[in-house]
Amino acid sequence: MSPDIGDEAVEIWFGPQHVSAHGWAAKLTVVGDYIVECDPHAGYFHRSAEKVLEFRTFKQGGLVLERMCMLEAFLAEYPYISAVEQIAGMEIPERAKVLRTIMMEASRIHSLQFWWGQLSAELGLFAMTLWPWVDREFFLDTFEELTGSRHAASFSTPGGIRYDFTDKVRQKLLRAIGRLESNLPKFKDMLLRSPTFKMRTKDVGLFNAEDGIKWGLSGPNIKSCGIPMDLRKDWPDPNLAYDLADWEVPVYENPEHPGQSDAYDRMVQRFMEIETSVSIIKQLLDQIPDGPIVDPKARAKANRLPAGEAYGRVEGTRGITTVWLKTQDKAQTPWRAKIRGPCFASYYSLKHMVPGSTFADFVVVFGSLDPYPGWWDR
Amino acid sequence: MSDISPSDFAGSLIRSYPTVTIESKSGQSLMISVTPSMIRDVVQFIADNLPMALPESVFGVDLEDDNYELIYIFWSHPARLLCQIRVQLKGETPSIPTVSDIFPGLEWHERETHEMFGIEFEGHPDLRPLLLPDELVGKYPLRKRFKTDRSRLAESGLPIVKPRPRPKKEEGSGK
Repeated sequence: MSPDIGDEAVEIWFGPQHVSAHGWAAKLTVVGDYIVECDPHAGYFHRSAEKVLEFRTFKQGGLVLERMCMLEAFLAEYPYISAVEQIAGMEIPERAKVLRTIMMEASRIHSLQFWWGQLSAELGLFAMTLWPWVDREFFLDTFEELTGSRHAASFSTPGGIRYDFTDKVRQKLLRAIGRLESNLPKFKDMLLRSPTFKMRTKDVGLFNAEDGIKWGLSGPNIKSCGIPMDLRKDWPDPNLAYDLADWEVPVYENPEHPGQSDAYDRMVQRFMEIETSVSIIKQLLDQIPDGPIVDPKARAKANRLPAGEAYGRVEGTRGITTVWLKTQDKAQTPWRAKIRGPCFASYYSLKHMVPGSTFADFVVVFGSLDPYPGWWDR
Repeated sequence: MSDISPSDFAGSLIRSYPTVTIESKSGQSLMISVTPSMIRDVVQFIADNLPMALPESVFGVDLEDDNYELIYIFWSHPARLLCQIRVQLKGETPSIPTVSDIFPGLEWHERETHEMFGIEFEGHPDLRPLLLPDELVGKYPLRKRFKTDRSRLAESGLPIVKPRPRPKKEEGSGK
């Protein structure tokens, strides 16, 4: 607590045992019902992934990365794979590019459905927790059919992908998307027009775009301020197939406060993200070329890499996700791998965003940023 | 302001600070090498001149024999430009001025680099350990000389168990 805060202030630990604080804790200084200071603490399940990666081969590294965030496993492993492919100078088969992109978008939808259910639970709307999670099961079924695993699938590998699409996977994915599409308008109506939901989220956790960018926020948190910052468009990746689909970066700008974003706007923004991902998947499903899914010669290059540096970046569900990789000549393992998780910034920014709001709103502000503790406790 | 091209930006940086070296990796990416004393000037230049500069990360790299490299990464969405600023540091506990007052988002990145590499950030408001447990504070685990094999087992305070002798193979058990 800062020394200039008066005697009436009380310090309260939020977490790590609190139900909505799963693996994190923040020390809040409150005066009455209002928070005046927030000190987020990290490190409750730090797994030293950056050190672990220094002892894992390049083919094993992706498996460590997807454990940073199980909800978006297909996306989380990609920056590392991309960095390895850049250093080795690999060309990957066209079929692998398209399938990678499809599964990354499916992973994004699945992660957003989970987040939306969790935020609803934190607001006390338990019906809206369980319904999207039923829909989410259908995506998990697809992942299981494709890879044998519901979460940590290790789908991408340097040089291509490890599992091929079958007709059954395609059917299951179409079924999951069909169910989502028929339910989404209903759920959106129920949530966004609900007076309780509006009361809890409107003007809560408000920040403007300039501050958000200085704090390092990215992804839907910044897009909901009206800035179309999206690496899928801004940073063309030759090993992905986003250019095959016709889509626009989803941006929600609330006319009530242009250039700013509150918890409600971030909710609307994430619904738009789901709709965009559905559109990308549906377009790409019609364009899957025939051919191999992995180039064995390219994959063999990952056994020993030349000296080099690469920066793999991807637009994750929660924002810019990157891995910076440095190798020495004929290396079997990285010299240094730095993981940049998007939630490191969104968790830190609570320090600036929360003071001034009430204690009851703290969970809403936190939840609306979609932070996942795995991304800061790497 | 938003239509600044990478070469314009590099040109104006070179004119303001002739001692920095800039290397263009691709159309979208610049690599800027600076000395530790100039880091605040160059980061301030980025804050003033690169539109919507997003502080992506700061991290250290151990180059062995007390040589370190610090890399600052900024991304500008309107200019579609990625800037990597690289600083070479030398010494047992090297130090560099903080930039967390210019970009608050780098406060935690610097805090993490401090506990993992032992690099001091002068003027940083809060260098408490962020991620590490108490017993690893001050050991700088991402340095290359930090061993992760069994040689440090005694530090843990746990009883050191000798490997159990292997059971002898019984006659005829292979069938």
